[in-house]
Amino acid sequence: MHLPDGILPVTVCAAGYATGGALTWYALRKINRQANPRARVPQAALLTAAFFVASWIHIPVPPTSVHLILNGLLGVLLGYYAVPAILIGLFFQAVMFQHGGLTTLGVNATMMGLPALLAYVLFRLRFLFGRESRAGTGLAGFLGGAGGLALAVLIFYGLLVTTIPATLDIRMERAAITALALAHIPVVLLEGVFTALVVLFLQRVRPDLLDGASGWTPPVPVAAPDPSLPGIRGADEPHA
Amino acid sequence: MNLTLDAYAHRDSPLHRWEPRCKLVALLVLLFAFAFVRDLRLLPAMLLVTAGLYAASRLPAALLLSRLRYPGMFLLLFALLVPLLVGSTILLKIGPLALYREGLLFLLLVATRFGAILTVSIVLFGTMPFLTSVRALRALGLPEILADMTLLAYRYLHELGRDLRMMQTAMRLRGFQGRAFSPRNLRMPAALVGSLLVRSYARSERVYQAMILRGYGHESACCASTLVPVTRPDLMALVGTLLVATGFVVGDVLLRTGALV
Repeated sequence: MHLPDGILPVTVCAAGYATGGALTWYALRKINRQANPRARVPQAALLTAAFFVASWIHIPVPPTSVHLILNGLLGVLLGYYAVPAILIGLFFQAVMFQHGGLTTLGVNATMMGLPALLAYVLFRLRFLFGRESRAGTGLAGFLGGAGGLALAVLIFYGLLVTTIPATLDIRMERAAITALALAHIPVVLLEGVFTALVVLFLQRVRPDLLDGASGWTPPVPVAAPDPSLPGIRGADEPHA
Repeated sequence: MNLTLDAYAHRDSPLHRWEPRCKLVALLVLLFAFAFVRDLRLLPAMLLVTAGLYAASRLPAALLLSRLRYPGMFLLLFALLVPLLVGSTILLKIGPLALYREGLLFLLLVATRFGAILTVSIVLFGTMPFLTSVRALRALGLPEILADMTLLAYRYLHELGRDLRMMQTAMRLRGFQGRAFSPRNLRMPAALVGSLLVRSYARSERVYQAMILRGYGHESACCASTLVPVTRPDLMALVGTLLVATGFVVGDVLLRTGALV
């Protein structure tokens, strides 16, 4: 589900960096407006790493197996932090596995990050059913997971259709691309069901994780160090 | 899964010695200049520049081959489809299959650009430790939250990967096979992902407290000062690379508009 280097024209790559940059700027602005924006950095970073390794898990769908994208689940759990998390995950994939690419990082970040924010919004529908409702949480999780991936698939194939070089047989390629997009419907449903299952698991085990994205407070109240105390790093120098 | 980026980061070569900020700017601009190229006549020059850079980096050829293997599979799929489906000028016809000239040329362009961009990005991130790369990016204006998240995520990738493998082994030891598609075989991996998330979340609480104890959140030494100063050869290499990149862009525009024949 990532666009590799070298396929897209450079204008699309540049536009991708513009939209990806704008999206990241927007998400970081929202994050910086929180009471203590750094408090969630370790959580978001470790969940980024967890999502990165979780994408190696394969689900058997005979005769083959599929791996999950989990961008919807990321949005559901991390809220606005999902955008930097996806950007970092894609960067790791590009430099470690050459999966995706550096020139297409912006395009891919938009393609996955925007749907993650949609998933975050969709998952908040669960509040209509009440926080404790399992059916409501499961349904909202399904909508978040399926909606997040469906939008990503639409953007992916939309990009492929619109950037086909003019000299090529457009009709045929569009037909092939539409067929491929339709073939993703089962995967979208699977992702939705899987997201719902993970969300229901978390509701049973650590319900506070699900509330994390909205109105988040640090898990254990930890006071920031008092700079007047001796021995705290940076306490002796004046800072801005 | 090999998650390390630093295996060859401590060798000695002109590219290893190049100041990280200059190297990042120069090679990233070069990557985009490569992505800009659409004229086939520039491809030999692109390959030459890429090969020169890789040779100068003194990275082993085996690294390049192992890194190209995975994205190569995607390219292979592309290579099997495009020359047969795309185009109007038939080069070769075997039964119902026709090989088209336009498709073949498009494939050649995409494959060369792809290989060149990948190789340069391997040179870029393979010739300095990952910590240095992020520091240099931070000095070039990467937001602090992004830099912190990148470093922390990189630090814990290996450990969470080990956690995941351990849990998968535990599942197998308890008899989980999960080869067929069934509700249960969907519920178990979901619980696995859920447990992994809970574990990483619990760990992050401890990490955050440890970080606060060490003064996290209080501005200390700026990262830029820990980078080595830029010297004249660094700047000359930067300007030289930018000129080469400009050459590719201008050359492509001139060749395609027909000003240069």
